Amino acid sequence: MKMCKSADARLESYIASKNVETSFNRVEHQKIKCGFGQQGVCCRLCSNGPCRITPQSPKGVCGATADTIVGRNFLRAVASGAACYLHVVETTARNLKTVGERKGKIKGESTLDDLASLFEIEENDIHDRAIKVADRVLSDLYKPRNEKMELVEKMAYGPRFDKWKELNILPGGAKSEVFDAVVKTSTNLSSDPIDMLLHSLNLGISTGLYGLTLTNLLNDVMLGEPVIRMAPVGFKVIDEDYINIMITGHQHSVISHLQDRLIDEDIKKLAQGVGAKGFKLVGCTCVGQDLQLRGEHYQEVFSGHAGNNFTSEAIISTGAIDLIVSEFNCTLPGIEPIADEFMVDMICLDDVAKKANSEYINFTMDKDAEISEYIINKGFENYKNRRKKIAIDIPKDHGHDDVITGVSEKSLKAFLGNTWKPLIDLIAKGKIKGVAGVVGCSNLTAMGHDVFTVELTKELIKRDIIVLSAGCSSGGLENVGLMSPKAAEEAGDNLKAVCQALKIPPVLNFGPCLAIGRLEIVATELAEALNIDIPQLPLVLSAPQWLEEQALADGAFGLALGLPLHLAIPPFITGSKVVTETLTNSLKDITGGQLILEEDVKRAADRLEAIVLDRRKALGLEVEVGEIA
Amino acid sequence: MNRIKVNRDLCMACLNCVLGCMIEHNEKGKGIYDLDLEDISNEGRNHIGLDKNKCPTPIICRHCEEPECMYTCMSGAMTKDRDTGMVAYDEKKCSSCFMCVMACPYGVLKADAVDRKVVLKCNMCNGREIPRCVENCPTGCLELGEEE
Repeated sequence: MKMCKSADARLESYIASKNVETSFNRVEHQKIKCGFGQQGVCCRLCSNGPCRITPQSPKGVCGATADTIVGRNFLRAVASGAACYLHVVETTARNLKTVGERKGKIKGESTLDDLASLFEIEENDIHDRAIKVADRVLSDLYKPRNEKMELVEKMAYGPRFDKWKELNILPGGAKSEVFDAVVKTSTNLSSDPIDMLLHSLNLGISTGLYGLTLTNLLNDVMLGEPVIRMAPVGFKVIDEDYINIMITGHQHSVISHLQDRLIDEDIKKLAQGVGAKGFKLVGCTCVGQDLQLRGEHYQEVFSGHAGNNFTSEAIISTGAIDLIVSEFNCTLPGIEPIADEFMVDMICLDDVAKKANSEYINFTMDKDAEISEYIINKGFENYKNRRKKIAIDIPKDHGHDDVITGVSEKSLKAFLGNTWKPLIDLIAKGKIKGVAGVVGCSNLTAMGHDVFTVELTKELIKRDIIVLSAGCSSGGLENVGLMSPKAAEEAGDNLKAVCQALKIPPVLNFGPCLAIGRLEIVATELAEALNIDIPQLPLVLSAPQWLEEQALADGAFGLALGLPLHLAIPPFITGSKVVTETLTNSLKDITGGQLILEEDVKRAADRLEAIVLDRRKALGLEVEVGEIA
Repeated sequence: MNRIKVNRDLCMACLNCVLGCMIEHNEKGKGIYDLDLEDISNEGRNHIGLDKNKCPTPIICRHCEEPECMYTCMSGAMTKDRDTGMVAYDEKKCSSCFMCVMACPYGVLKADAVDRKVVLKCNMCNGREIPRCVENCPTGCLELGEEE
């Protein structure tokens, strides 16, 4: 079977050795793309269409121009992406509320206290405090569009809040904003690309502050705060001696009961009864990244993170997975036939991620114990039935043992001595030239699986720009060794020396895509420490291998924060001059952000580095002679 | 010679062959993102028409054995290479009489939209191994094959 390349050579050779069709094979048969789709100028909003913009037919039947069609398509995509993350934070807040109501375990009391104090909640009882924090989040999400969300001002950096207010992009109730974005982009409604771009930024703000940041923090309360530690990654973490449950999704609190229950003595005994050593959760997709991030609290039950979204198919084909539990994306449809072939049952806990062959159980936190028992029993039965019939083939030479994980805004600051000063000093002295967030998804089309992400990251660290990563990009970067301390060798001399002195890798692992919110807290705190606004920082973002609508909503947050954002594949906008010009150029004078579209690794690194150097110069920091033309 | 063959039943009117043609003849670059879809100087040398049953039909230069365009050309701009089979057009020799446009039995030739001075004519992507329209066709409707 023909297949695409991966930055992860061992993964590529493993997939090539199996006679199992995966995304790596299918992408070869989807190489011919529709040019109208790529440029975003196909409109399917009415029965006069589909209309496509060509030089000979510059308007749709209704009169919509390329600018209108692209604006509508883009806002719809951002609205869908925002909806996904808002669904995640809604579930998370509801779960926290239930934990509070039933006086359940609070693992991250200090984060709860921080949130309560930020939200000005005075409540002595820890569980009531959790309920009130959750309620404040939910009440904002459920507000109508004409009522502004109250936590935005408390969460956002002051100068940014003022900027958003000035631009009139402060979000009303987040779900209502998504709703009206759908209305706005329907047939013969808005035709104004600029209004639709501003609406996208508005959705970016609720995605970033609620969908990302608050999801992380509420999870910290329920699941425990990240602690920096060393961990193994890759297929080597899969241990066939256990009953293995692979989780896919983003709503980590949904499995919080399960992950504690799996290591209870009676459950271990149950597993031992069929010859297994116990149960393990095998990390895959962002829920695996998040378990890895909080690995300090889950040392026994979590076997480690095996790989990112497009690794999930290959993980099932090892034969060592006994059950798949999914609660959100990235649960690829491609895993279904593989799960069937390898006799792996699938259970879905949230119907937004319902797979055609999965059994659906409607998860609610008040039924978590009952649902855990069901899952455990299913895993047990599957193990018993399938293991004698399925060959196990785990590439134990895949992965690394020394990945630095558990990096968060709090743990990193603690590592630096509870102050950002050491990092700021290193930047000021030029030992670290700047900071790049290389974040987001993994795709198979920007040069292959993780190829652009890995190559760009190598280019940046070579130029002494430290890289922070969150999302499936992290899954790829850690599996090729760039998140291990030994990767310091690949950095430029200055960054290498810093990494070796601190015993850290040049690429820091913040975990799941949700943790892009943590990176943005780091950006905010750095700006705060320097008393400047975010667009002045020598900090750039790249989501080189963005995949999905959620990534576009994340990106809209980055642009609202005023950060430069690079994408290797354009987000279906280039057919509109107004949209492209606004996002890639005029936005610099609006929020300070800018979209950078660049399909070549070196040129992308050049442009990001040039921005870092410009920012350094503007801050009066040393720039080596010859660095700026 | 190799000709572009059309299996009409497979055409879905996606226009990817037309886009491919525009991209290949775009002086600003050969990628989809180099193509300005609002610039009328970007034109395909092929198009999709609807037949009498309203079924989409790619209209592609056949590089005819008996090329009417060449026979009607009075300035010598159209020539047939008997070795390669290709009917070539030399815009420097063209007097813009457009007899070729009127004579083409397939209706594939047309004057350029900007200046109405030259004829837009397939050159088989100037030696490209697989013509861009064929490469861009997602259904297999267009194929490169030996003439029977």
